Amino acid sequence: MIHTTRAALLSAAAATCLALPALAADGELVIATPTLSDQTMTPWSGSGQRKTYLDLVYEYLVYLDPEGNTEPGLAESWEMSNEGKTWTFHLREGVPFSDESCGDVTAEDVKYSIERLVAEDSRAGPASTMRRIIDTIDTPDDLTVVVNLKAPDFLLDKGYFGEAQQLGIVCKSYIEGLAAGADTAAPVGTGPYVLDHSTDGSEVVLTLRDIDHWRVSPDWETVAIRIVPEEATRVAMLQAGEADIAPVSFDSIAGLKDAGLRIVSAEKTWSPVIRLGGTVQTDEARFNKENPWSDVRVRQAMNYAIDKQAIIDELFAGEGTVANGDTPVAAWDSVQPYPYDPDKARELLAEAGYPDGFDMTLKTFATTPGAELPLMAEAAALYWADVGINATIEPGDWPSIRTEWTSGKALDFAMTHRGFPFPNPENGVEAGFSTQSLFASFTSDDLEALMAELAAETDPAARTEKLTEIGQYIRDQAGAVFMVLANEPWAVGPDVGEWVIDTAYVYNFDTVGKAE
Amino acid sequence: MLRQITGRLIEAFAALLLMSLVIFLLSRVTGDPVALLLSDSATEADRQMLIEQLHLDQPMWRQYLSFVGNALQGDFGQSVNAGRQDALDLVMSRLPASISLAAVALAFTLVVGIAMGVVAAVTRGSWIDVLVRVIALLGQSVPSFWLGIVLIYIVSVKWGLLPTSGYGTWQHYILPALTLGTFTLAAVTRLVRASMLDALGSEYVKLARVKGVSEATVIFKHALSNSLIPVVTFMGAFFATMITGAVVVETVFAWPGIGRLAYESIVSRDFPVIQTVVLVITAMFILANFAVDMLYLAIDPRMRDAG
Repeated sequence: MIHTTRAALLSAAAATCLALPALAADGELVIATPTLSDQTMTPWSGSGQRKTYLDLVYEYLVYLDPEGNTEPGLAESWEMSNEGKTWTFHLREGVPFSDESCGDVTAEDVKYSIERLVAEDSRAGPASTMRRIIDTIDTPDDLTVVVNLKAPDFLLDKGYFGEAQQLGIVCKSYIEGLAAGADTAAPVGTGPYVLDHSTDGSEVVLTLRDIDHWRVSPDWETVAIRIVPEEATRVAMLQAGEADIAPVSFDSIAGLKDAGLRIVSAEKTWSPVIRLGGTVQTDEARFNKENPWSDVRVRQAMNYAIDKQAIIDELFAGEGTVANGDTPVAAWDSVQPYPYDPDKARELLAEAGYPDGFDMTLKTFATTPGAELPLMAEAAALYWADVGINATIEPGDWPSIRTEWTSGKALDFAMTHRGFPFPNPENGVEAGFSTQSLFASFTSDDLEALMAELAAETDPAARTEKLTEIGQYIRDQAGAVFMVLANEPWAVGPDVGEWVIDTAYVYNFDTVGKAE
Repeated sequence: MLRQITGRLIEAFAALLLMSLVIFLLSRVTGDPVALLLSDSATEADRQMLIEQLHLDQPMWRQYLSFVGNALQGDFGQSVNAGRQDALDLVMSRLPASISLAAVALAFTLVVGIAMGVVAAVTRGSWIDVLVRVIALLGQSVPSFWLGIVLIYIVSVKWGLLPTSGYGTWQHYILPALTLGTFTLAAVTRLVRASMLDALGSEYVKLARVKGVSEATVIFKHALSNSLIPVVTFMGAFFATMITGAVVVETVFAWPGIGRLAYESIVSRDFPVIQTVVLVITAMFILANFAVDMLYLAIDPRMRDAG
């Protein structure tokens, strides 16, 4: 007895010794990520950050190509009617769920997935805004879903129903068979991978389904997504060959390239910006007229005063472009960013009655991506000091700053912030600049009117034009201090071949190639 | 002895209750989870709905009373994060990783620290003594996040000997335990050295030497066994340092323990989990000190008589 135990121990020890060092195995793609968020497994039970793993399991009605154009997904085709208030999706036939008892995707599954995502207890990011627009859902036959909206949404396919959002299609009968609150149970979807295991606070491991998948044919048998909060550790994992893919900071890029690793950048996927609090001019309670920046000339001066290109070169390793808005929006490409012109800034400040500048508070925090925000705040303050604006920087953390920001009070400070592109840019405009959004920092009657005109417009070309007009207005009004449309750098190891990131939250881990 | 134990238990309970109040209030001072869980375009109505769902609409004192009442029945609430896992389950599932790391680090600290302390004391004034003291000083001054990252670069990236991070095999323990143990290693070394020097200069050691007892027996039997009493006294504190110090080490080494859980729940203002983590750590602290007291009674006859 003792002998066998000892023998077993010895062989176990030998086996673990042989496993050293813990290199990523052949056929296993290891992704080191700062967070797995909630590690829950249903689309409605948490944030979009879980898309790194959920997108391998669940599929969407509509996919996007790298240019942001729609591609058929679980819906083979779709059409909009009734002036944007009715959307009809025709489903692809014969797409099987990973659980045999579920069979193929039907209209009932899609209807259930939508209803579950917008239910009151849903924790998905877009749940509340989707709840406001979705009225009823009809399923005239097994492969047709008709979505009736309370208000027009002309970009439902790219937006809420597209792959950049959270409407993954689930198997209705499987979910209904689970005990209530079983949101961490193994997910059942139509994607190319199934969950192997999820270790709380540690990793999510997925394995490839043994089928001829309709959409992709992945190169990797296993995908392991591990939580590694510390960036230096992620970089070490890449260098030691323990990880194949990891997001890295701008600071690390040069070193990683020297070490022979490649950088894949997601272009313009987040936007460092400085938002000016208390400029919700359409809401008495949230409009603080005491702020110097309640005057448009001061807001413009604050934009002119900063050499944003210098900040991009120094803090963002050149990975970004000078921002012309608070988030990247394709329709705003013609909108020109504020040039660096300190003389103009001084002139505008003098005109507005602040020839000697003023004192202000700028709150800042670090996050991922967004480790650079506090340094960006310092840099902005230095440029402002040059024109007389004396900004006191208050470092904080996002939870407390956001609590204050959404408190509904007349704010008297500015904050650094990190925006993401919205798959439907109209939702982004709404979040940042409409009175009904708790988060809004700048609103005006003119802007509300422009947004109402946009909502009423049914012609796609005219809508794009209107959106451009809105972008130009927000830029001219200096609705924020626009800073950078930044890239998001990821380092990839030698085993990884072709890989393209479409946009924020669309990482395409199921199309990562293997090196030759 | 029984009276001592009962007294300790009552103290422990009072400490836990006090801690629950402190952590309940502190975690609510800096913000609430509602702002974080809402999407950017949420409206006032969305916020009200979420506040109700999380039972944050009740007055603070009632929230606290129901928290304590439920906690006494073993119900610490559910995480406000999407998974809504049971807070106690969540903490308990992370506890083994933290305790095993702390235990390995403590064992490393004790074995190496006592050895270094004895060597330094015996060779007092020599270059070995100086070297040991310099190492101890460095160990206490080096920040653990820096030490951890440097160790990863040298041992894992340059030499390829051990995994950089993660949890699973015994190899995964080495670097984090080394990093976590280094700070207390310095303390143990200095403690053992000082008390060894005391013991070596004491009457009973002189007597033993006069009686012709061998030098090894003098050092290990007479002097060392008596010098270890202060180490035992501090062991509870050391263990607690390891659990709390684990926040940094667990982050650097991607270790799935309660230190990181504490950090993550604070960042997301996950009140039930913050409360549970802190209470569990407090309970462990109290338990470790309680165990030390009991150990003390066992090894030091004078304590028993005093009781």
